[in-house]
Amino acid sequence: MSEIAIATYGLTKRFEGYIAVNEIDLQVKAGEVYGLIGPNGAGKTTLIRMLAAAEEPTKGEIYLHGDRLLRDDSNPRLKQRLGYLPDDFPLYDDLTVWDYLDYFARLFLLKQPQRDRRIQEVLELVQLENKRQSIISTLSRGMKQRLSLGRTIIHEPIILLLDEPVSGLDPLARQQFRQIIKILQEAGMTILISSHVLSDLAELCTSIGIMELGFLVESTSLAELYQRVSRQQLTLATLGKMETLQQQLNQNSLVNHWELIAHNRLKIDFKGQESDCAELLRSLVLADIPITEFHHSQADLESIFLQLGHQQAS
Amino acid sequence: MKSNIKLFSISNSLWSKFLDSNPQLFRELQGKLKTRNVVTAAAIAVVVQFIVVIFRLGKLPEKNLFGSVGTECGRYGTTLIYSQGDNGTICYALDQTGNWLVNWQLWWLDLFIILSLIIIIALVLVGTYVLIADLVREEERGTLNFIRLTPQSAGTVLLGKILGVPILLYTAIAFCLPLFLVAGLQSQIPLTLILAFALTVVASCAFCYCLALLWSLANLGVSSFKPWFAVGVLILLLRASTFSLFWEGHNLDSFFEGFLIFNPAIVLSYLIDASNSSIGTVDFISVEDLGTLTFFGQALWSKSSLGISLILVNFSFWTYWCWAILKRRFHNPQSTILSKVHSYWLTASFTVMALGFTLQQDMHDYPNNSRLISENFVYLQFCLSLFGLGLIFALSPHRQTLFDWARYRHQNNQNSLRKELVVGNDSPAVVAIAINLTMAIIFISPSLLFILPDHKQDIFWGLLLGLTNVLFYGVVTQLILMSKNRKRVLWSIATVASMIILPPVCLEVAQVTVQMMPQAWLFSFMPITATEYASSSAIAWALAGQWLTIVVTSLQITRKLNQAGASETKILSAGGQIL
Repeated sequence: MSEIAIATYGLTKRFEGYIAVNEIDLQVKAGEVYGLIGPNGAGKTTLIRMLAAAEEPTKGEIYLHGDRLLRDDSNPRLKQRLGYLPDDFPLYDDLTVWDYLDYFARLFLLKQPQRDRRIQEVLELVQLENKRQSIISTLSRGMKQRLSLGRTIIHEPIILLLDEPVSGLDPLARQQFRQIIKILQEAGMTILISSHVLSDLAELCTSIGIMELGFLVESTSLAELYQRVSRQQLTLATLGKMETLQQQLNQNSLVNHWELIAHNRLKIDFKGQESDCAELLRSLVLADIPITEFHHSQADLESIFLQLGHQQAS
Repeated sequence: MKSNIKLFSISNSLWSKFLDSNPQLFRELQGKLKTRNVVTAAAIAVVVQFIVVIFRLGKLPEKNLFGSVGTECGRYGTTLIYSQGDNGTICYALDQTGNWLVNWQLWWLDLFIILSLIIIIALVLVGTYVLIADLVREEERGTLNFIRLTPQSAGTVLLGKILGVPILLYTAIAFCLPLFLVAGLQSQIPLTLILAFALTVVASCAFCYCLALLWSLANLGVSSFKPWFAVGVLILLLRASTFSLFWEGHNLDSFFEGFLIFNPAIVLSYLIDASNSSIGTVDFISVEDLGTLTFFGQALWSKSSLGISLILVNFSFWTYWCWAILKRRFHNPQSTILSKVHSYWLTASFTVMALGFTLQQDMHDYPNNSRLISENFVYLQFCLSLFGLGLIFALSPHRQTLFDWARYRHQNNQNSLRKELVVGNDSPAVVAIAINLTMAIIFISPSLLFILPDHKQDIFWGLLLGLTNVLFYGVVTQLILMSKNRKRVLWSIATVASMIILPPVCLEVAQVTVQMMPQAWLFSFMPITATEYASSSAIAWALAGQWLTIVVTSLQITRKLNQAGASETKILSAGGQIL
């Protein structure tokens, strides 16, 4: 069993009249990319802020790789392991890109010549090499966001907390951001990421947590979630008679139901696994049905999310 | 930027290693040490010095072009001319070539004093302003949070701020130092004393800047007025204390004059004394005057070495406290400014210091000085009450903290309720304020009993009533801070201020003097002024009334906390509303 990178026990945060985060017991394994989803106000940002020691929990404990996280001077080693990118990413507009990263590299105790080398690596990773001497105020939003990510990883943290990192970015910038996160994942970082863009999370994450009204209502690996909840969808087209095809489908117990999407095309809700799909196709071919299309797909994360009864404001 | 590159490319030097050890200082220097800024700072320093020198040269007599033999008198003359009925006038004599003989030593001393005051005022006022403005800006932008999340200690970051943010001010001061040093040496002040004075200025800045940082990290809800408010208060204090210093020949035996040791300019007295100008002097408190300033009856400031050392110790002591509070505060900006444990030590230190300056006179002079001592005790009550008000706002947790404490106290820690109220930082502040005030009374009582020749009871009851009043303000403040109102801090300040200001104003308007109706004045901020005229029963009723209101208000706080401490299920099942 792999090591637990992030563990919380009874983590709670109250604000005035409401509980933003309620008794959360979260466990994220080392090396995972954990996606946190939920509607606005579900408590995702508060949870991430507490994990980053930017917010004091009302109650509960946080452990990072087994060490207790406290909000004081006492844990410099733990802070060295942690990278946090908030959703508002404030920057120093008067500094150049290089000076900004250099400042944070120094704050994270990087010494020369490793410091310059690391800044160069990070600039390459976030694709800002050609902007190294640019003043931050002149950068576009996407560049600023990438620079913030650069600041977050400058000290090579082993846990990365990203709060809505792609919000407000255009599709190209989002694509660039996804690429960077994939590289960081390959480098072995444990990444906890919250986002409303579920297609991005489906592409990046290995596990998913769903938050609602401060509760963590679901926390599981993406594969298990697909296996447990997701239904296969098959798209079939034939040149022959629809009635013959429908008779054949009726004989298969794994076919839940189907709907006609064109005069000779069907969309089938299928319970079986991939091998069952192959078996179904074989049985149709043996029944002499002229199949022109047999397309197998899986329900996306958004459908699963809705299927579970949650509502995702996107 | 070129100057930056030059400055920061000195590899492997001590300077480079020092900058590596403090990234915050590095960032501040990098952002501020630009060629244009440095040139501007230097130009301002040169212009200010030029104006001061021209101003002082203007005080010299005009050149004796026509070989006049008439009398020219002025501050920098070298001859005393006596006429009937005066103490002598300083006039200029002529040398063999027909030029006026000038007392250059005094001229340089004047220049030195002016430069010293300019340096002190600039460092204290400008330094405080830029530090508060910088930290408030970082806090508002949210960038300070990123620094908090790095492995750097609070001490390193804050030291970097103190050394780096006012760097242009330091640069300007550095350009003033050559003339400052030359002026000091030319006025025959020993170099060691000049350096001791410089050290005192540095110590006072350290204290001031720590206070400034603490103020900028205070949670008041409104940030933009913070730098201006701090500078306004400092201007008032600096002006009052510096004007007192320019008053030669008066005894420093009043309570408030003890606090002159917080103005580094007081050290100039020793420097002026060492200059020992043969004729003419500066109208500044003398070393003999400083000899009348006593602490627990001991004249500790009559010698320069001991006097300056004590002033340095005083600044260091209070800087240490501010620093300790700052380090805790930096990582927990939502917590109370002071921890309860810190508050007890701080109260003990402040009470000892204030009592020391209350008992100003030499013991042998009693009972002749009893009136003066009694007056000092009135000032002591005023000062302790002000300190108490400060404690209230530094110790009282806000609504969310208190409600969290009430709701999750049993789960978060295993301390008993009593221990929580005495040392726990999230619990209500009332008990801690009461302990602090009781400590102050206990410290002061022996000196009342054994040193004061008369008015012992009046002063004791006055102090007790005054500090009980403070406790009442504390309870009211805590109650307001628990309210839902978003502007609760401002409301609590306004309420306490009106409770302090309105009663005496109303009584004054109604022309009710202390002598006419002392019982009414017993409920004012300064009941010590009324106890002399009030009967014992009136004092007893006043105390009983105060305690009754304290108990009732405390019960209200307890009720609210009990309600907040109940679980949501319990409240809802009881048909109540979640707070």
